[in-house]
Amino acid sequence: MAGVRDLPERINPLKAPAGTRLALMGNEAIARGAVESGIYVVTGYPGTPSSEVIMTLQRFGKDLDMYVEWAVNEKVAFELALGASIGGARSLATMKAPGVNIASDPILSAAYCGVNGALVMLVADDPGPITTQTEQDDRWFSKLAKLPTITPSNPQEAKDYVKVAVMLSERLQLPVILRTTTRVNHTVGDVVLGATEQPRKFKGFKRDPPRFVRAGMRWNLERHKWLNKQLEKVEGILNELGISINEVHGDGDVCVVTEGVTYNYVTEALNLLGVKEGVRVLKVGQLYPPPKEFLKKGLRGCGKVVVVEELDPYLEETVKTLLYDEGISIDIHGKHDSLLPMEGELNVLMVAKALSRVIGVPLPRTLQVSRETPALPPRPPPLCPGCPHRASYIAILKGISKAGFRRDEVPIFGDIGCYALSVEPPLNAIWTEHSMGASISMAAGMKLGGNDKPVIATIGDSTFFHSGIPALLEAVHKRINMLVIILDNTVVAMTGHQSTPSWSVTETGRKAKPVLLEDVVKALGVDNLAVIDPFDVDDMANVVAQYLRKPGVNVIIARAPCALMKVRAEGVKAVYRVDPEACIGCMACIRGTGCPAMYVDENGKAAIIEEDCTGCGLCAYFCPRDAIKEVRHE
Amino acid sequence: MSRGIKEVFNILIASVGGQGGLTLSRTIAIAAVSEGLSVRTGETLGMSQRFGSVTSFVRMGPQNAVMSPTFSEGMAHVMVGLELTESVRNLRYLSEGGKILVADTVKPPITASIGTARMPSKDELVGALTSVDPEAVIVPARKIAYDVSNPRAANMVMLGVFNRIFGILSDDAVINAILTLLPGRRGETSVAAYKAGIKWAEENKVVQG
Repeated sequence: MAGVRDLPERINPLKAPAGTRLALMGNEAIARGAVESGIYVVTGYPGTPSSEVIMTLQRFGKDLDMYVEWAVNEKVAFELALGASIGGARSLATMKAPGVNIASDPILSAAYCGVNGALVMLVADDPGPITTQTEQDDRWFSKLAKLPTITPSNPQEAKDYVKVAVMLSERLQLPVILRTTTRVNHTVGDVVLGATEQPRKFKGFKRDPPRFVRAGMRWNLERHKWLNKQLEKVEGILNELGISINEVHGDGDVCVVTEGVTYNYVTEALNLLGVKEGVRVLKVGQLYPPPKEFLKKGLRGCGKVVVVEELDPYLEETVKTLLYDEGISIDIHGKHDSLLPMEGELNVLMVAKALSRVIGVPLPRTLQVSRETPALPPRPPPLCPGCPHRASYIAILKGISKAGFRRDEVPIFGDIGCYALSVEPPLNAIWTEHSMGASISMAAGMKLGGNDKPVIATIGDSTFFHSGIPALLEAVHKRINMLVIILDNTVVAMTGHQSTPSWSVTETGRKAKPVLLEDVVKALGVDNLAVIDPFDVDDMANVVAQYLRKPGVNVIIARAPCALMKVRAEGVKAVYRVDPEACIGCMACIRGTGCPAMYVDENGKAAIIEEDCTGCGLCAYFCPRDAIKEVRHE
Repeated sequence: MSRGIKEVFNILIASVGGQGGLTLSRTIAIAAVSEGLSVRTGETLGMSQRFGSVTSFVRMGPQNAVMSPTFSEGMAHVMVGLELTESVRNLRYLSEGGKILVADTVKPPITASIGTARMPSKDELVGALTSVDPEAVIVPARKIAYDVSNPRAANMVMLGVFNRIFGILSDDAVINAILTLLPGRRGETSVAAYKAGIKWAEENKVVQG
């Protein structure tokens, strides 16, 4: 619901009265769930597919008396939420799967100290993967961190389970993980709203070193015993409160165990196969600790079991262990016998095929459509028209040549953000993209490893604030010769334009102290620093060349606002047009920029889609015939 | 005017990031829920999808009938394409006898413009579509949108054509959904484009049933 700020209350997803039925995205539903559960502190770091929870609360939740702000990284976000909840407040921390890795240190210790208010952690995994570097399955993380974990299968449950998580967290005095996958976070579904609750704030904090000081090893042993006892209570508490997040549907001696979005695939697959009886479906909402009593009872009398889940065989191994302990030996199908794949996301057809094999019913003919289509050019997402990162990488590549090096002897380390799209042709710029902040440390490591040619690290402003600062400190302290280029578009762009620590006002209108990149970089003690507008390509290329030859840690801040954000704020003031008479069809413009607003027309000349052009003029920079001209909008 | 539906209806929206495919899917979802239907949409958001391939799954049906956010190949009752290349790319999702409604826009991807991949001609693309649905409706959506308001509202022109043909949603529900999603001037121009799409469908007699 981008841009909607003043929705009438009856359709505002956070304010509409109980009983209202709205089309909400899973993440919007979770945001509503936070309001229905009396959560006060909400924080996190942007990461697809989790970002819209906080964005929704910020957009529609003005005057709800909640603290909803982005934090500098996931570790800090979790610690903020933990601090709030040991003081009795209810809090929520949101992050994508790799964000959990950043936050894991405090999370593991939080299981020992526990909480006083509620702490819910939204962990959004990404089978596919659709937008994530790995297909990390965070159900293992729940087991590692020993934290109760529940999972919804649709937007309605996504909302309702926030409340379940809050209740469990307060009863158990433990952080609770709400684990989702992309197809729940980003699915729009019909959601019936419940009543909202007053946010719960600070109540008090009593000094209690055995709980809150992890320096005492005897205390830690005792807290570990306490933690294990708490985990044994989860299923009982859910039953006592009459909360049924584990459900059995149908009956028969073929048992399908499933969870999350795959429950929907199982139900629709059985419909497609026309299987109306003989199959029992166990939908597991409680992922960790596994609901042993539910599973034991639900699997009683089963002849065979099929486990349908995405990512790793987590439930499959859980069920196998449980049945072994019960002395039951039956066939268990899933990923270990290759019935379903270990990688990628599932869908209705894949599940239908798997179930048809196990149950022994044929797949309907109508599902076996195959169509020949002509070969099509792929369309990976490129840098946007007018993107300042395009100008930066063009300048970096020119600078390498100007300094007298070949492109293939100066590695450009990349980092997490839009600028990673520079990996595609025609720029072919970055050589690595690994994890938040790793551009700087990996480039430094390669120098330490003995590479005597220059190395370049490129990192976005928000990624630098998130994890780049300690890496740059390391490089400075160890006197490594390297060039670090901070691509400063003043916003977290890739995840939908969230604030960075350089903003003076946050999304919710709170005044903030802007932390300037150049102040931080100078304070770290770098040898040379330049702040440059990357659209002045030649100027930036000269500084790149100069810095590549200078010893020390040299930093360039390439500063120009994100093109999308700029257009939204200011509109497009000018566009560029190709004069077909003057164009010689050399395509220097398209091959130089790879701008998606450009194409080759039917006469073999360069052309620009006017409504996509934002007027950066980089194409004109490459034109040898001056055939591309600016046209100003009046 | 709403005809309603008794079974789950699957729509595939094929577009290029930035064309408004997600806005189109969300508009249908909001309108459908306001009409008492159940919906699910499945789409990939987040990574700067501008100018990349975007596929949206939209499903609506009676309450509790729709569960999965996506559907598999061969299950779309209709494909609404905002761009020809992406429409051809997604043909595998169309069911036997499924309907194709597509804007006549071609946006060559960068891979084609820089010469690393071959771009089929517009005729080849249209041919691929009509070989599957000989009655495929090819809509000059960008021109219609340009004439009434703004070329960016071509998505709403396609919504008008879709709803005039299938009539699942009432015009009031669709217009309210547009105005919920896009307040201010963008909402008004989008409604104008939606109505222009309806008018085009009537004038060109592509109306079924």
